[in-house]
Amino acid sequence: MTAPLAFERFRSSKGEEWLLRIGREHAPAILFVPPLFEEMNRTRAVTVAVMRAVAKKGQTCWLLDLSGTGESEGDLGDVTWDDWRHDVTSAAAHIAEKARKPLIASLRGGALLDDAAEARGWWRFAPLDGAAVARDMMRSGLAGGVEWAGYKPTDALKAALETRAPARVAPLRTVRLATDPANADAKLEGPALWRRSEPGTSIELAEALAADLVKWSRTCAGS
Amino acid sequence: MATAPDDAHEVENTLRAVLADVLGLDRARVAGFTEATALFGALPEFDSMAVAGLLTELEERLGILIEDHEVDADMMETFGALLTFARDKTLR
Repeated sequence: MTAPLAFERFRSSKGEEWLLRIGREHAPAILFVPPLFEEMNRTRAVTVAVMRAVAKKGQTCWLLDLSGTGESEGDLGDVTWDDWRHDVTSAAAHIAEKARKPLIASLRGGALLDDAAEARGWWRFAPLDGAAVARDMMRSGLAGGVEWAGYKPTDALKAALETRAPARVAPLRTVRLATDPANADAKLEGPALWRRSEPGTSIELAEALAADLVKWSRTCAGS
Repeated sequence: MATAPDDAHEVENTLRAVLADVLGLDRARVAGFTEATALFGALPEFDSMAVAGLLTELEERLGILIEDHEVDADMMETFGALLTFARDKTLR
């Protein structure tokens, strides 16, 4: 069974941004919040693989593009931290209006943006502090590379990022890789794809993430 | 933070695991690395974000802190140079 795929627009603070939907419009909804900066590109393939696997199990997945990234027509140099948080809140509201109140599935740094949105629950994969994201991006300039891997966020956005940590939300399930020493509700075997320069995916990891996410989504049935 | 590994052999195993994870290399290939195996500048997978990832993962898994001024291309030039760095940081 193939799942329908569609692109939809939602209203952001400065215009309109894109949502990718995989699955039927009227089914339990899950909104994916992508990782930040380079990690977003690196995890795109596995994110879409998870979305497809979840859609096959009868739930509908949506993935937003944050302002100034991905398919967005905006420029990253105009984007504030609050714009990004607002993107997640409006994407969730768009889905609630069209379908149902979503569960939010945040990947890595996406977990820094997900707490203000109206959701029936939260699921986070390998969340980290904003300071760690900023440190990685600055370090990409060591040993002859380009700082921030060529991204040009404003100093204000960088400053906001450095002080943010994933906020307390409920109900929340946190999933990490088995190689990650931090606390989690579940640990899954698989590669840290966000570290890889070659965009890749892992079918096993995508299937395991999808199974865990669908189970949690059913637990947070909500409205 | 993970508990700091307490012997040289464990540091080496951790370093090999991190290289396999960060660079997306086959574990068998990384197991075959010798001290002379060229890394930074020799492997196309070892780009600037991979440098960042390598440092962050080593910090987490070895329970160490790496200062930016300690990082240069020489320290990542070969597996042996990186191993010496990791052991010096971990086993002091």
